[in-house]
Amino acid sequence: MVFVQQNLKKLVVSALAGMMTAVFCASLAVSAEEHYDVYNYDRWSEAIPSQAGYLASHSVSGQDLGISDFSAPSDIFRDAYDRFFIVDTGNDRIVVTNSELTEVVKIMEEFLLPDGTTTTLKDPEGIYVSPETDLIYIADYNNSRVLVCDYEGNVTMEITKPESELFSSELTFLPQRVLADKAGNVYVVLGNITTGAAMFNSDGEFQGYYGANTVEATSQVIVNYFWKLISTEKMRAKSSRSVPTGITSFDLDDEGFIYTCTQSTSQKTDTVKKLNPAGKNLFSNLGVTWGDFESLYDVNTARSYQSMICDIEVSDDGNINCLDLTSGRIFQYDKEGNLLFIFGSSSEQLGGFVEVSAIESIGGKVLVTDARKNYITVFEETDFGSIVHEATNLYNGGYYEEALDPWYQVLQYDGNYRRAFLGISAALLVEGDYEGSMKYAKLADSPYRYNRAFEGWRTEFLSAHLTEITVILCVFAAGGIGAYIYLKKRRKPTDNGKEAEKV
Amino acid sequence: MMDLTNRQWVKHAVTHPFEGFEDMRWKKAGSMKYAIIIVLLWFVASVFYNRLYGFQFYVSADKMFNVIPYIVRTIVLFLTWVVGNWAVCTLLDGEGTMRNIFVYSAYALIPYVASIYLDVFLSHFLIRDEFVFIEAINYIGLGWSVVLVFSAIKSVHQYSFLKTIGAIILTIAAMLIMLFLLVLLLSLLQQVYVFVYSIYTEIAYRLKV
Repeated sequence: MVFVQQNLKKLVVSALAGMMTAVFCASLAVSAEEHYDVYNYDRWSEAIPSQAGYLASHSVSGQDLGISDFSAPSDIFRDAYDRFFIVDTGNDRIVVTNSELTEVVKIMEEFLLPDGTTTTLKDPEGIYVSPETDLIYIADYNNSRVLVCDYEGNVTMEITKPESELFSSELTFLPQRVLADKAGNVYVVLGNITTGAAMFNSDGEFQGYYGANTVEATSQVIVNYFWKLISTEKMRAKSSRSVPTGITSFDLDDEGFIYTCTQSTSQKTDTVKKLNPAGKNLFSNLGVTWGDFESLYDVNTARSYQSMICDIEVSDDGNINCLDLTSGRIFQYDKEGNLLFIFGSSSEQLGGFVEVSAIESIGGKVLVTDARKNYITVFEETDFGSIVHEATNLYNGGYYEEALDPWYQVLQYDGNYRRAFLGISAALLVEGDYEGSMKYAKLADSPYRYNRAFEGWRTEFLSAHLTEITVILCVFAAGGIGAYIYLKKRRKPTDNGKEAEKV
Repeated sequence: MMDLTNRQWVKHAVTHPFEGFEDMRWKKAGSMKYAIIIVLLWFVASVFYNRLYGFQFYVSADKMFNVIPYIVRTIVLFLTWVVGNWAVCTLLDGEGTMRNIFVYSAYALIPYVASIYLDVFLSHFLIRDEFVFIEAINYIGLGWSVVLVFSAIKSVHQYSFLKTIGAIILTIAAMLIMLFLLVLLLSLLQQVYVFVYSIYTEIAYRLKV
């Protein structure tokens, strides 16, 4: 008996060891180089393991560039010539590097005002370089101004606190981010303004606000609204107002749409917006949860951690990179708002962050600045990432058939990638392979796609088998009528008698 | 006169909404066996409706299948209806016995159950644009069953038109009360169980030490 038990024990141990090895190998296969679990969300909004779309390749500090270390860099921007402008907030300077982030092209510290005097920056927080005019816009935070200058540092315009009825004189003017559209209108994010970005025309005159967030209709808001209806003026003056969170950062895409993000723990709507020139949110009907789906509750700090999108960036091919301050993760979406990849973490290793501040991309690279670690982390697209991007771009452009091969490759890397099934289904539908399309629509769990494929399949089936169907129907109809007549004849004596009696 | 078999009675009751159940009552007809089969078929239909429906009409495929909600939505619901109706109508001078209420109500469900099966069948041949056919069959089956249920309650208790309406409303209220008490009972039992179990573990630890 003891012998048997020991044997059994051995068997169990070896089986367990084998399983653990298998699991270990599997987890290694999922993320070969990253120190965190790479995941994505499935059809039911649950996190599942996924392939890494980006890997952290290296980091760039000030010393790597041959200058003194960065101090709390808060923004990074790539101009039309692929130069990077790094806002080195703690050192009051703008560092311009080449596209490879290997050498410094220029350091901007002093600026020449039109009257001949020089001026310096004080805690600059944001930068924008116009591709049309090559003018540099700097959000000079503690100097309460936005500097507009050329590449040589000659200031052409200074935007300071506007004197307008719309801008209360009690408010401070502390610019955090700045942007200029094709027409030269300047948009400035101010931390204390909740009604959107302050908008100035090309001459620096205050125009109003742009892109305010809406107040989320929570039960609290509705209750407040009810009390306001029945309360007096005095009570109303004392009650708190429902105010949306102000926007945190924004970016401009090639078509001139402004994307804004809002860093908030309480607000769930309007965290990411795509604004048209009228200030209307084009993403409002998308139904996308930006960032992580579920908030995490930390027992030690008794706080729940929810994604706070602190910076947003639109890459050249239209993908939207959202930077999450809470978790140090980057959420990449395609232009339709479909989640592509999640990468980055909150840790000390390469690819992890302490306090992320800004994000920028160039080609297949994504650059993230960390205000606490004082260096820039460079992520590079993996093979999987580039295939997904290729397939997504073709698919979003309407080239379904061309996207078929890349989607098949995506499935070889990650059989859980739902959009690949959708893409294959769409491509097969265009090709006329209805059965294949139906199969992949089912795998993607998309009734809408299945419906279209099924419609095609049904039409094809009916036209191919019309004669057979007609014959079968006729036979059935004839048989049915025949059986009816036969039964009626047989039942006649008894049934009719009953009916007659009843009447 | 009206010497029908059980199967003919089913057909007669369903196809004669106004006097079918009166005839049944007159002849003391109606089979418990058939009634149970109909309720079970309803349960099976509700499972079919969620699992075997044409994929193009899926709203969202579940990740997990649990049969308990389907039982509650059909069999338990039907039993509460029967018990609730019996309880209410006994107080309102109703003449129906529990058995008759069960049988008549089950017969009245036939068009609705049939429409579910027909919908599931058709859903494999139609596309989303043609959903209106499925909807129409669904409404016809449901409407027919509502009329039959009304007629069944009216005949089984020998009520007038208005009294039947009142009885049905009271029955629905009784059902709600019963379900509420059922949920309350379950949660209380659970708490009692947790309490007993914690006492047991406590004693077990003491005995060990």
